[in-house]
Amino acid sequence: MSKRQSQKLNTRKKIIETAFRVFSENGFNVPSSTIAKEAGVSHGLIFAHFPTVDNLVECLLEDFSKNIGESLHTLSESAFSIEEFLSRHLDVIEKYEPFYTRLILEKNLLPGNAKYTFAAIQSTAAYHFSRVIEREILKGTVKEMPIHMLFNTWAGLLHYYLINRDFFCPLNEPVIKRYGGELINTYLALIKKESGV
Amino acid sequence: MRDISDFAGGDTTKDYCVHCARPDGQMQTFEEKKESLKNFIVKTQGLDETAALKVAENMMRKLPAWEKYFK
Repeated sequence: MSKRQSQKLNTRKKIIETAFRVFSENGFNVPSSTIAKEAGVSHGLIFAHFPTVDNLVECLLEDFSKNIGESLHTLSESAFSIEEFLSRHLDVIEKYEPFYTRLILEKNLLPGNAKYTFAAIQSTAAYHFSRVIEREILKGTVKEMPIHMLFNTWAGLLHYYLINRDFFCPLNEPVIKRYGGELINTYLALIKKESGV
Repeated sequence: MRDISDFAGGDTTKDYCVHCARPDGQMQTFEEKKESLKNFIVKTQGLDETAALKVAENMMRKLPAWEKYFK
């Protein structure tokens, strides 16, 4: 790779990383000039790499989807029980908590393709969830309920706490660090069969 | 694909994964894959079928084995 190509890739990476941080802190409706200023590049340089702001959001979400998908694959492969899966799922979300929270809060404001990237992230989580929960249902340890309701109940509980972080964590501490254990225990109490039943 | 078990039939010469293979190891057709992915999304996330189809198409659009069908 030539020096010029390498510089180009580095600048693109810097813009994406800066946008990730700025969007996490301020939401997706931030002017591109703010991202340029924070990244220490000229405003025009942003458009040399991304023809539109929507394209920047889409590329950033693609990168995010790959990273979070990879983390989910790696961590879920060794999760043999639903407890282990939930704990690892939270580990992954916690790693990206500010951005993930912004994503679920503002999903409906995202450009078309970016919205589907969010759906792909959820599909990756649902895939690993379903593999584990189906085994548990077969073993008789989890109540027989439709997989999508089991997944959506977990996601709903988790997302409720994340989108209301100002009420649950007014001092801005991470939601998952504070409530993760309680969320897992409550969810398990809802879905597990009582022994001997 | 990162592990041998990810390749269809464990055959590393194949350029498609276990999720894109039929039980006999042959690659699914585009329509078969789209339908099975849509059904999987409905089963695991409960989305409306029309929305699930759009999600499935957008996921396939980014996969090397299927991207050519969207050009």
